[in-house]
Amino acid sequence: MIYPASNLLPATNEDTCGPYFPIYFADPALENLTRLDPGLVTEASGMRIILRGRVLDRHGELANGVVLEFWQANAKGVYRTPATEGHEDIDTWFYGYGRMRTATGAYELPTIMPGAATGRAPNITVTIFSDGINRVVTQVFFDTEDGNESDPVLQAAGEEAPRLIARHDGRTASGAEVYVFDIIMAGDNETPFFDDLES
Amino acid sequence: MAKQGRILGVGPTDNTSDQRTPRQRLRLIPDVARASFVPVVPARYAANPHEWDMTCTAPDRPRAAGVPIEVTGRLRTASGRAVAGALLEVWSANHYGRYRHIEDHSGLQLDENHLGLGRVLTDDEGHYRFWAISPGAYLARPDIGRWRPKHIHMSISGGSSRLITQMYFPGEPNNATDPMAILMGDAFERNLGKPRETGTADVEEAYDFDIVVGGRNATFFE
Repeated sequence: MIYPASNLLPATNEDTCGPYFPIYFADPALENLTRLDPGLVTEASGMRIILRGRVLDRHGELANGVVLEFWQANAKGVYRTPATEGHEDIDTWFYGYGRMRTATGAYELPTIMPGAATGRAPNITVTIFSDGINRVVTQVFFDTEDGNESDPVLQAAGEEAPRLIARHDGRTASGAEVYVFDIIMAGDNETPFFDDLES
Repeated sequence: MAKQGRILGVGPTDNTSDQRTPRQRLRLIPDVARASFVPVVPARYAANPHEWDMTCTAPDRPRAAGVPIEVTGRLRTASGRAVAGALLEVWSANHYGRYRHIEDHSGLQLDENHLGLGRVLTDDEGHYRFWAISPGAYLARPDIGRWRPKHIHMSISGGSSRLITQMYFPGEPNNATDPMAILMGDAFERNLGKPRETGTADVEEAYDFDIVVGGRNATFFE
């Protein structure tokens, strides 16, 4: 195999996180994006939602011991990154990064409905780490929000785009609108995943 | 040929990998959406000051069984920039190959002086350091006699640099049959700790393990 000439350092290989990602490393502040830390009087702007669902394996069984990471824009569609430092639409009480380990494979993320970034439909980036795989990433959209038809990521998913759209569950929980999104790792109805190393 | 996303490999003899590895080719991210796939982890990390020393459960407690080692290295992006102030979350099995994790039902021996959990931050030049007990290998597939070689798990979060990986040990007989090592091919070498002199450190072995976070995410906000 001939490698293209490059000055880049060869990257350390990603590896599976294995079945024993320490529960000890859990951070409650990253498991509920509607407030910064438990016990603080802070509230993110926007409509409160709960994104919940299951991570399923090739046989439709729950995928236990999975680490999920979430990343989203605030209610005004602005991501909190070094590029948006000092942006007038930053929400002081919202970062947009979440992380949790689910023992069973079922998950529930209290957050706010992300706003639409320029040219995009509202979405949340989901990263999955688990035993047996290196990280895989995708984005989840919402069936109640505008812009899904013209979103470039959904278009890239082609006929399988509906698999990336969370369904409004038609009810509220703790004052939040509930959306349901199952992640199917492999097999029938496999969730479309994206390549953030090669793209 | 037009650029395409990867087809992920299934780890040979790894049942979980068979159950959970997506089979479809990964899709390329459209350019206009590329930046939205770059999570930035807020630097608000927790780490107890004694956690860099995983050879004991607390500074006043005895050392765990096995060989104490030091691991040091430098965290950089593929473009060579040091990643400062990044969090390394480290976990590993004890000398007997047992994790002190509520879901480890292997029945292998626990060690009253071993937690196997540590968090450290990189300094201004991306350097990190921790002590650990050299972990035991364990029988992952008793039915076919396949072992997991000794390894230390590391999860790295530093702004948009994100990596979960494992450090392996050179010359271990089980390296060659490890499913993930097989998928890495020749690049497995990058995930080996490099033995070095211990110097004045109160350990029996020492390893350098430089970490390079690849992909575009890590460099998006450089």
